[in-house]
Order: sequence, then structure tokens, then C-alpha cells
Amino acid sequence: MDSKLQSNKRQMIVLLFPGLLIFGVFTIYPIAKLFLMSFFQWDFGSMLDQEFIGFSNYKDVLSDSFFWMTFANTLAYTFITVPAQMLLGLLVAVLIHEIKRLQVFFRVMHYLPVITSWVIVSLVFRYIFNTEGLLNYFLNNTLNVVDGNIRWLDSRWSALSVAMLLGIWKGVGWNMVIFLAALQQVPSDLYEAAEIDGCNAFLRFFTITLPSIRGTILFAWIMLTIGGFNVFTSIKMITGGGPAHQTDTMLTWMYYKAFSTGKLGYSASLSFMMALTLGLLAFFQFKAMKDKDMEAKNLK
Amino acid sequence: MKKTPTKQTVILNLLLTFSTLVSILPMVYMLSTALRPNGALYEFPPRFFPSLDAITLENFSFVLFQSTFYLNFLNSVFVSVVSVALAAIVSAALGFILGKFNFKGKKILFALIIVTMIIPGTTLIVPQFELAFKLGAVNKLPWLIPFYVAWVIPFSTFMIKGFMEGIPNEILDAAFIDGADIFTIFFRIALPLASPAIASVSIFNFLTAWEEYPWANTVINDNNLRTLPIAIAGFFGQHQFTQWGYVFAMSTISLIPILLVFIFFQKYFVTGLSAGSVKG
Repeated sequence: MDSKLQSNKRQMIVLLFPGLLIFGVFTIYPIAKLFLMSFFQWDFGSMLDQEFIGFSNYKDVLSDSFFWMTFANTLAYTFITVPAQMLLGLLVAVLIHEIKRLQVFFRVMHYLPVITSWVIVSLVFRYIFNTEGLLNYFLNNTLNVVDGNIRWLDSRWSALSVAMLLGIWKGVGWNMVIFLAALQQVPSDLYEAAEIDGCNAFLRFFTITLPSIRGTILFAWIMLTIGGFNVFTSIKMITGGGPAHQTDTMLTWMYYKAFSTGKLGYSASLSFMMALTLGLLAFFQFKAMKDKDMEAKNLK
Repeated sequence: MKKTPTKQTVILNLLLTFSTLVSILPMVYMLSTALRPNGALYEFPPRFFPSLDAITLENFSFVLFQSTFYLNFLNSVFVSVVSVALAAIVSAALGFILGKFNFKGKKILFALIIVTMIIPGTTLIVPQFELAFKLGAVNKLPWLIPFYVAWVIPFSTFMIKGFMEGIPNEILDAAFIDGADIFTIFFRIALPLASPAIASVSIFNFLTAWEEYPWANTVINDNNLRTLPIAIAGFFGQHQFTQWGYVFAMSTISLIPILLVFIFFQKYFVTGLSAGSVKG
């Protein structure tokens, strides 16, 4: 840019100001406050009168068996839904990429679950998996494979499985769209050369397609991991965390502690640990991919 | 001459048809439940489609004319539209300055904005509630807006900045020589040129605001001030999980604006999504 234009600092500041003000007050301040609150005895009843208690909240969280249960639930949710969504999304993307007609139609149809709100799809899944619902009727009376109605939502792992199934079902479309965009960027002469060399479709996928879309895989992996840890609304709607908090995830548990028992300090330290862990995780995910990149370049 | 489809094409289309059915059947079931009488809690035997003579619009007419649902709909329209507009203008300004100018601390500022994308929004709900409490923002509809805008600023700024960087400096310099200042260049040149990027992030911002549940559910208590997701969830909980017909009629209506936005702005949303990912 021209240096004289550059020198008009006042107008630059005026343009930056509104965005930075909103971002600072409603995002940066809460992040700082979260960190501070995690060291205080901060209860709902005494919003104005808090006592510094060091790492007590952290100790409370880490010695709480309920926390570890919700941690295990969140981890299971993330480890199962993230790869499943990516694999299915990639599969659908490859299928759509290979056909010539109706690409737009199939893309829109698969994207429908993504744009339907979490509240709605969670209620639909709850309705389908209800003890007197459609699925049990289908299994019981149409297929005759089970005897009596299964209480899907009344025990820990079957209820969590319903939430996971919902997470996978809702996420496939997002993966499909970004993988499809990546597939369309792969230069077609690479495939032509490989074909001449006698590579079959299977080999071409693993030697050309996958390495070419590595950046997109990383992007999806990081975004979905964050999303997996963020699971909240579906659990609230499908089980409400029950029975006896067995299906709570870290965030629904944090929310319960804050807004039902009033332990804001406890929740703040839980949230802070979670945000920090995710930050580090994303950092290492990036690093792992970057290192692989370097390796690949060195080999060449 | 028409080419007969190859065996491979047939298999691909069959697989895609199957996965399409899996994708849309829950929504079809939602609609079909909304179209049958609300009374029957769980029909026995349950049917996927209502029989033709049982189809009724009574759930829709109740939801639209006899409940306060229309208020919730208007609340959502208000909050979402204002949030999207505000986010578009402030993020475009951020993206323009960060993408086209050099100043001290620019890299750190941009990194600070970007790094917050890693933090799941809901982890900030406790300090944000404390902030809302201090600001007197609890149970006030317009106060949802700055929270939503702050939420979407990082991704929007990131996308728009990338687009702004692609605008040739010559265009801006030429305008400067003609006597334009930064404001004029931003509003008259950069903003219109960046409109595809702004449109694509706006679609996502609209979806974010339209479907947001945890925060609105935390700060809004008054039924007349509720946005759609918390109105639907609240109605569901309040009626002891029995009024499925009404719940799914509300759900269907709340899905319509989103569908319209995505159908009309198809081309923008695909470019938007892929631009962010392929760079990665």
C-alpha cells in the first residue's frame, strides 16, 4: 500500500475499533475472567463476594469421580464420532465426485442434516429411539428380531450411542462438502499419469488422492475434535445427562455444576482445563501434520 | 444418441440414493409427525407416513395462530439478521485493515483473534454469564446480539482477510491518488469487491445465530423473549414430552428460513467452506 495512505492511523483505528471492542468485551474478557474465576470460591448466591482459594477448584474437579465419568463419555464420543464422520464423509464425497449428473442434488440432500438445528434433530432422534418409538416397533413387530421394547435412552452406553449416532449422521454432510472441494482441486494429470503406469483405482486413491487432500484431512480432524468436545445440546435434549449423570459430557456436567448447584468456580476450572487441553491438542495435531509434510518433502 | 449408463454409474447412484435416504428420512419423519393429529402420543402401530385421510394441518394452525410461537419466530429473525449484519461490517473492517495494511502488533492481533477459534464456545458460558449479569443483559433479547457477533468474528475475519489480501494493491492505490481516504476506499471499493466472501461467511453466521441454544437458554427466561431453539426445547420440556405434533410443527417452520437461505446462496456457501479448508 501507498505509504501516505498507510499513515492515516486515525481512520485505521476507527475501522478496527468496533470489531475489537465487541471481540474484546465478549470474548477476551470472558477468557481472562474464566482463568481468574477458576482460583476463587465463586458461588451463585454470592456473585459479589469471593474468596481466593488457589488450586482448590482444580483439586475438586480432578478428585471428582463424576468428572472422570463425563470425561470418559466425552472422550468416547470424540474418538468414535470424529473418524466415523470423516470416513463416511470422504466416502460420500468420492462417490459424488465420480458421478457426472445430479452432483448438486446429492450434495444438497447430504447437507440437509448439517443445517438443521441441533435442538430439532436431537428431538427427532429422541422420538425415534423412544421406548414406544418407531425403531422399537420396527425391530419388534416388523423384523421380529427382539423380544419386547429396548429402553435405548435409559442406560449409559446405549443412550450415548444414540447421541453418537446423531453426531455422526449430522456431521457426514459437512465432511462431504469440504472433502469434495478438496477432491476437485487434485490435478487430473496426476491420475492420468498413474493410469498409464497401470495403477488401479484403489492404488490411485491411496497414492494420489489421500496425500493430495492431507491439508483438508488435518483441517477436518482439528475442527471435528473441537466440535466433539463441544457436544452439549444433543445430550441435553436426548437424555438430559441422565440417568444419574451417567450420560453427561464434560460441558453438560460443567453446566449442571454452574447453573444447578451454583458452583461457578468449579465450572470455571473445568472449562479452563478443557480449553487449555484442546489448545494443546490442536497445536500437536498441527505439528504432527507439519512434520509429516516435512518428511514427505525430504523423501523427494 | 443416448449413452447407456455403465454398471459403475448405476452402483454409484444406488449407493448415493441409499445414503441420501439415511440423510433425509429423520426430517421426513419429523414432517410426517407434524402432519398427523397431535392427540395420539405414540400411535400403535406407529407409521412412518400418516394415512392420507389422517393428514391434518391442525398442529401448524395451533402453532401459528393460538400460541406465542410467532413471537419466538420474530425474535429469532431479529436477533439473527442484526447479528449477521453487524458481524459482516465489523469483520469486513477487521479483515480489510489486517489484510491490506502493516502496523506494529498486527501479527499478534491476528493470532489472538484466530486462536480463540480453538476454544469451544460453551466453555466460556460461566464468565459470559457473569458479564451479562454485570451488564444487566440477563433476559434482554437485544443483548444476545453482541455475544453472537463476538462468537463469529474470528472465523469471519479470517475468511474475509484472506479475500481482501487477494485484491490488487493497484486498485486501492489508484483510488488513493484520486483523493480517496481509507474510509472511502473501504466502503466504496474493498467492501463491494469482498462481497462474495462476506456473503459466504454471513450464511454460516446466520445458521449459528438461528440455531444457537446453550447461551440463549441460559440468559433468556421470559417465554415471549425466547428465540426458536429454546422455545421449541422449552415447549417440549414443559409438556412432559407429549406434544410431539406441536413440537415437530414448530421445528418444521423453523427449518424453512434456513432452507431458503441455503438454497438461494448455494454457490456462496460451497466456496466459503472450501476456501477455509483447502488452504489448511
